Formats: sequence, C-alpha cells, structure tokens
Amino acid sequence: MKQVGRRVTGLTNTQLAAGKGTYVNDVVLPDMAFLAFLRSPYAHARIRSVDISAAMARPGVIKVLTGEDAYRDLRPIPEAWNTREIGAKGVLWYPIVKDRVRYVGEVVAAVVAEDRWTAAAALDDIEVDYEELPVVTDPIKAMEPGADLVEPAWGDNLLITRDWIAGDVDAALAGADRVVTGTVRSNRITGVSIEGRGCVAQWDAFARKLTFWESTQNPHPLRSFLAETLNMSENSIHVIQPHVGGGFGLKQPPFQEEPVVAHAAMVTGRPVKWIEERAENFMATGHSRDTRFEYTVGFNADGRVHGLRIKVIADVGAPTALLGWGQSFVTGYSLPGGYDIPDTNVQLYVVVTNKCPWNAYRGFGKDAQSFVMDRIMDHVARETGLDRTAIRYANFIRPDDFPHSQPSGAILDSGNYQGALDKLLKRIDYAGFRALQAQAAAEGRRIGLGLGQELTPEGCAMPGALMISAYDGATVRVAPSGEVTILTGVTSPGCGNETAFAQIAADVLGCKLETIRVIQGDTELCPYGLGNYSSRGTMYGGSATQLAAQDLRNKLAEVAASMLEAAPADLEAADGTFFVKGSPDRSVAFNAVVNQVYRHTFGKHAEGVEPGLESTRYFRMGNIYHQPETQGRFSNYPAWPFGSSAVVVEVDPQTGMVKVLEYTLVEDAGTVINPLLVDANLHGAITQGIGSAMYENISYDENGQLQTATLMDYTIPTAIEMPMFSIEHQETPSPFTPLGMKGAGESGLGSTLGALCGAIEDAFPELDLRITDLPLTPNRVWQSLRTAPRKDGSGFGPSPSPAATGAARPADAVEAAR
Amino acid sequence: MQTTIKLTVNGRARTVEVDSRMILADMLRDQLRLTGTHIGCGTGNCGACTVMLDGRTVKSCCVLAADADGADVLTVEGLYTSPDDLHPIQQAFIANQGLQCGYCTPGMILSAKQLLDANPDPTEDDIRHGISGNLCRCTGYHFILESIQDAARVLRGEPSAPSASITGLRADDVAG
Repeated sequence: MKQVGRRVTGLTNTQLAAGKGTYVNDVVLPDMAFLAFLRSPYAHARIRSVDISAAMARPGVIKVLTGEDAYRDLRPIPEAWNTREIGAKGVLWYPIVKDRVRYVGEVVAAVVAEDRWTAAAALDDIEVDYEELPVVTDPIKAMEPGADLVEPAWGDNLLITRDWIAGDVDAALAGADRVVTGTVRSNRITGVSIEGRGCVAQWDAFARKLTFWESTQNPHPLRSFLAETLNMSENSIHVIQPHVGGGFGLKQPPFQEEPVVAHAAMVTGRPVKWIEERAENFMATGHSRDTRFEYTVGFNADGRVHGLRIKVIADVGAPTALLGWGQSFVTGYSLPGGYDIPDTNVQLYVVVTNKCPWNAYRGFGKDAQSFVMDRIMDHVARETGLDRTAIRYANFIRPDDFPHSQPSGAILDSGNYQGALDKLLKRIDYAGFRALQAQAAAEGRRIGLGLGQELTPEGCAMPGALMISAYDGATVRVAPSGEVTILTGVTSPGCGNETAFAQIAADVLGCKLETIRVIQGDTELCPYGLGNYSSRGTMYGGSATQLAAQDLRNKLAEVAASMLEAAPADLEAADGTFFVKGSPDRSVAFNAVVNQVYRHTFGKHAEGVEPGLESTRYFRMGNIYHQPETQGRFSNYPAWPFGSSAVVVEVDPQTGMVKVLEYTLVEDAGTVINPLLVDANLHGAITQGIGSAMYENISYDENGQLQTATLMDYTIPTAIEMPMFSIEHQETPSPFTPLGMKGAGESGLGSTLGALCGAIEDAFPELDLRITDLPLTPNRVWQSLRTAPRKDGSGFGPSPSPAATGAARPADAVEAAR
Repeated sequence: MQTTIKLTVNGRARTVEVDSRMILADMLRDQLRLTGTHIGCGTGNCGACTVMLDGRTVKSCCVLAADADGADVLTVEGLYTSPDDLHPIQQAFIANQGLQCGYCTPGMILSAKQLLDANPDPTEDDIRHGISGNLCRCTGYHFILESIQDAARVLRGEPSAPSASITGLRADDVAG
C-alpha cells in the first residue's frame, strides 16, 4: 500500500498518550543539583554591585555565578544569524549580565543548590545594587531625535532600517483613481508551549565530555553555540533532545540560560538541572509580532491596486543574540504577499526597546505580512464598493506568472491563489452567506464573514548563519532482520514529521510501515542537521530520507533482480515484497533480499553490491540564491505555501464580545505526505492565530514592567472558545523538492488575523467600521462600534434593529470581478 | 518539616516521606517517579498536572502532598497495566490523533475520564466545558473533542467510529 498521502496517526501517539514520554524534567541523574536564575527586576538599570555572600552562606547552596564569572570564564553568545551580514547592528551578549540590564528578565546571577527550593530561596539573598536608567518602551518615541537609548553606543534605537523598492510608487499613486491611507497594528504576543524551556547538564571531567539534555528544536546548532560560548571543542559536547512539549519556534537557541547551566555543571562537578518557571517563560523566552503599519495605497475603480507604500515599524525589544527580530525583516521582505503590485515601496524600521527580545514564533513575520495585506484589501473593497473577494482576485499573482519576483527580490516558486480562493468560496457557499446573515439579523443576532489570504515563505537559508539553511541530512539503515531505522538531522517538537519520514521510506523501500523506527534529536546518533524551524522538517528531512532510502532500494533491487532473474528496472516493491512488474507471483520477500546482503555477501546474488545497508544523504534546496553578483538575484526562501480562509463570527454589540462560529481553510503547501497530521498542525496554527488576535496580549507599563507573566493574564484559547475547523487541501507541488512538498508547519496562522477583523466589520454593514488594532478584546471592539459612523449619516454606533440594516451586498460581484 | 503520609496511588498502597510544603505533583513525579503527570505552570491554570484524587480531578500543583494523606490517587499510569490494554480514552486519543507533543495529554485524558464517568453521552458543548481547565497549544482541541466523542461511544459499548475529519472520507465515500 502506498503510504505517502495516507492519513497515518502519529508514531509517538501510544507512548505519549500513556504518559510515557521522557521530557527534560523527567531526566534525573544521580547527585543532581538544581539551578535558579536571578533576573533583572528593572527594564533598564546599571548594576553597581552584586553581593552574593548571604546566598553562599545559605545551607544547601553550592555555587553562585554572576556576571563577573561569565565575563571571565565564558565568551559572548554567538548570534543566531549574522547581523553584520545584512547591515544590522549587534551587541555582545553574555550569558550573565555584568554592567547593565536592558529588560525585565535578563539574567543577573544564577544559584546552584541541592534542591530547587533552596536555589529559589537563595535568589532573595543576593544583593544587587541597581541604578535605574531611562526606559524606552514606545517605539515611535524611540525613533525621535534625542530619545533615550537602549544601546547608547549605537547613537539611535534602530537595529536596522531597510527599503525595498520596486517600480515607481510615486508615479503609480499619482496615476491611481483613488489613494487612501491607513494604520494598523498587530500586538505583542508569545508562543506558550505548555512545557517551558529546561535543560540538564552533566560534565565528565575525565572523559572531558559534556552531555546536555534540553527541550530544544536544534540540537546540532545548539552544540556549536555551546562550544563557542564555553570555549570547548564541539566533539566534547553531546546534545540530547528528549521529547519536547511544544516549541513553535521559541525553543531555538542560543539563550543565556544554556551555557550557564553547562558551565555550572563543569565548575561544580555535579549534574545540574534548570526548569523554567512559567513567569520566566513570559519575561525571557521571547516575544513577537508587535508591529505598526502605515500604508498608502492607490487603486482604480475596478479594484486593481496601483502603488503601495508601507512603513513597517517593529518593536523588537532589546537586542540580543536571538534571531527573533528577523521576523520583522521577513514581514518586509515578503510584502506585498501574494499580490502583483509592481509599484511597491516597503520601508522597514526595526526599533529596539527595553522589553524582552523577540524570539522566533510560528508565523515568523509572514503572519504580520498577511495581516496588513488583508486589512489593505478590505480597505480597498470598502472604498470601491466592490466585494472583498473581487479585490483579491483582481490583484493576485496569476498562476502562470511563477516564478514571481517580489519587490524585495524574493522569488516565489509556484502558486495558484485563485484556485485556493475558488475552493474556499465553494466550500463555504459564499454566495449563500448573505441569506444566513439576514436570517440571523432577523433574530437579532449579528454575524459576519471575514476573509484571510496568507503567503507563508518557508525553508529559510541565511548566508553566514549556521542554524538557518536550506539543507538537511538523513541516514536510513536496514538491519539484518529487515527492520528499518531512520535517523534525521531535523527534529520534531510534536508536529509529527517522524511519521512522514516513515511513510516516505516505506514507499521507496517497499517495506512495511510498522517495521520502521525513527530516531531524532541526538548529536551522537543522528547525522548533522539543523533541526526544526521555518516549516522545514518534512521538506528537507523528508527529501533527505527519500534520497538515502533510494540508495538502499537501488542496492536491494539489484540483489532481488538476481534472485528473480529479472532486470532491476523491471522490479517493484511494496508491503515487504519485491516482485516483477506485471507478474506479482514472481516475488521475493524484502527480508530475504536483506538476508542475501548480510549473510550471503559472497554469494551469487549479493557479490556485485557493496556490503552493508546504510546510506546517509543530504538534500540541498535548488532555488536558494546567495550570490547576487553572479546569479543576478538574492532569494533566501525557496518555498511559498499559501492559503485562503474564511471565518464566521457573532458579535454582541452590547459588550463587544466576539464568538468564532465557523472556520474554514483551504491550504496549499504542495504535496501532502500525511493529510491527517497536516490537518492537526493546521488546527493548532489556526488556534494560535485566533488566540493571538483575540485573547492574548503581552503588556508592559511605561516603566517597562511586564504586566502579563501568568496564564491568568496572558490567556491562550481553551476548548470553549474554539470552533471545529473545516480544512481542504489544494496541492500545487514545489518544483524543487522530489515529492513536491513545501512545508506546512506555520500554515494556517497568517490568514486568521485579517479574517477576524474583516468578519467583525462585516457583521455591521450599516457602519463605516474600521478594525485596525489587535487584539480584538471586547472593550476594543465595543469602543470601535460605538464610535463608528453610520453610512446613512444618522449617527454613530450599531443600528438598534439589525434586521433593518439590509445585511446584503451583491454576492454575485465575485463572478462579475473574475 | 518532614511528614509521613499513607495513600493509595494507582491501586497500590504507598507510604511516602514528604516535606510539608511539597505539592502533590512533585511527590508523584520525584518520589514515586510517576512522570506522566506534567507541570506546565505551577499555578493551576494549564491543567497538565491534572490527576484524580478520591475520584475527582484536581490540579496536583495546587494540592499539598500532605493533604493527600489517606487519599486514593489516580494518575495517567494507573489507567493501564501494559501498552496492550490502554484505557479506551487513551486508545481514542491515539486513533483520533488527539495529541501532538503529548505534554498536556495525561491531564487532558484524566479530565475526559471525569467527564465521561459522570456523563456517558456528552454533547460537544459538555466536552468543551469538561476540558476547559486543560490548555493544549498544539491541537486547537478539534481532534481532542473527536477523541473524547469516540471514547464515549466505546465506553457506551458502541463501536469506535472516527469522524470524516480523521479518516478523510466524506459521508458519500463511506456510504459507497
């Protein structure tokens, strides 16, 4: 049976449903000590002195580490991507701060103790003399001349600015029928894996070997980062990734905590464990998406956009070695999404503030790009009076216009945006919605439909960045007993790529799926690889698995051909049997062929092949362009999945409460290896999108104090808020991966944000309602409603009688526009 | 202060020496090595540490171990004796892909058990409320709801019947 395309349940399901996974907090070593971090309580302060004497005197305390130790014994943390390579400013970031803290949560000291309660108690014994410094929290004020500075040595608060210009936007705007402007803002959020970060370090001074368990997405790059910070050889470090309780991007190194825990194990001679508290997760693991957009868009009466200028202002928090600020870069780089707008000017301002730094989070800036484009398209629809779908159809890049160059130079590999939107409108019966809306209005209920369009570039490769590249490796081996083991450089924090690899290998080898075991996340077992991010796992790990399995298939086919007295090219293999095409009775068992290779190495069937059944292969993506001087272009995202979504909400005009009633997504991430697990990922991504748009918000006060450090304050969706999801796949294969897959890990999120805003607006057809800021809290929605002018000029706020609003616009405008 | 408590955990009588400040979750994990009980927040919000105490679910990060003296505790490990006889709710989560990373799963399964013990034929809304104290960040709850619906069928003596969103079959495919 062909496995690729089957809805196979996850290979790890049984173990995890039994509670028998091993997460990092389940790693227990003899004589293990516990570490706790003292974090800055100030957003910006100079450290005058640190007195650890009382902490050291507390019974049970083994060691206290401060900035003095870190600056003497450790090196700065290497940058996750090379800021100088793209002209950005950087900082020297040490694992423990010595002179100046720049956000609440930055590491000031660490205590190692016999147990974690003693370690936590000893944090209070440490006397730090802080001198408070001016705090920068408002990114707009931070750009004004004379603003207080996060990094005084920089001279301003701009980590990088960048213009991406295509065509002549001034001329295009001047020539457009209409020009409108707008401002929208996506809020500050974080990922909230239910398992926080954590690590365990063990140092063997005799073997000179550090073993390091961490809930990380990237074991091999982490090993390199640790080696550099600890000033050790990489082959002295063994990184093991246990089961990971969710990552979503936020478990990408390098963090301050990792080298501190490793160093603590080395200086104390004890195994050391650190498990992050939830409050630490909120203050120090990383934020994202806090971006303000100011746009000017010109368009004609037919809805065609001519000229788009967007200013992107991202508040990325304090500069560190984390790669998260790069999300703002990707937002600008991937604008204007899936629309063909030849005259476009994107201006990016990446502003630093005294807040927790951004770290990678699902969406990685593509979400913000899709959000602002959806808001702009809805704005144009409102101004032209055309249907929102008509505006999108009028401006989509055409299916025959690929590869397509973005204003940034990024090259979109393939796409069919019209096809996905067609399928969506059919699936939800778009034309029929107005009748439903009118019926609801007659019952006194306000429902609205919103549309989202996402473009989600995946598989990033940055020049000079160790961790961010478009290749990965896999080993496939067949044991003498015929069972198959796959080892990969990519990892799975729960997303299920291991199951996809087994499906791919089963098809190539013709073996049974249940005979395959997948091993990931161990730098001494697995081939070198970069781990999990940018939705790359199946795209690169799966392609490498395919290559390695094909090597073994070729060898086995040669042996089987000899056994069956046929030509290798005439053989097929499936479900553990090799057979001659068209003559299934001329067959030999997969295991019998394997047996020839291992036990009859010098017999007549296997004497012509190299002994052993193991292959390690690396897959390199074919459309990365890093040499503009000879290639004439620079493009670092090779795969561009996309999708169209529709959401139906009900809004209570009295309270501003919004309830999501239905959510439908048509997603196109190329060939789907396992539709069940892709659907599972899409459900999670949509939920994270809805959560971040409606319920979640990271908030700081004007002193840079974090106000949302618990799950009571930062409220992620529960089962009560979420609808059931309706998912459909369109498959436009990548021309550059052997099976055509593009990566689906982040898909589904980007289209939620704009769709929800549009749905709320749509529920009040009598109003000129403009939803511009996230999150869509009841108070914000209520305020927007009561201040929105009625289109008939009769005042402000929703009509008391929704049935009288004529909740209908011509649905057939869709057809007219095509 | 150390204190000795006697309790039943997963049907087995245990005597445990605990610090009076120790929480039940830590006792289960650290002293009894029942690491299927996970800790996600320590403040009773996420539900990963959910266990059953005398037949009703509690968040074991918010219960002192000493308060479980004399109690009957059920953790995820108490739902089976081997991989071949997992509880129907666990089997339903496996077959209906009601989990991804697995971190919230043990607590989620115990909340589902409490729900189905009290209400063998819950509506979708009943299920949503029944697991509203358990946060999952991976699944969006869709397949969890379908898992619990399927488990309810099996526990009522009906055959397992994964929905079209699991099997990928549409109603007309099934009919054919």
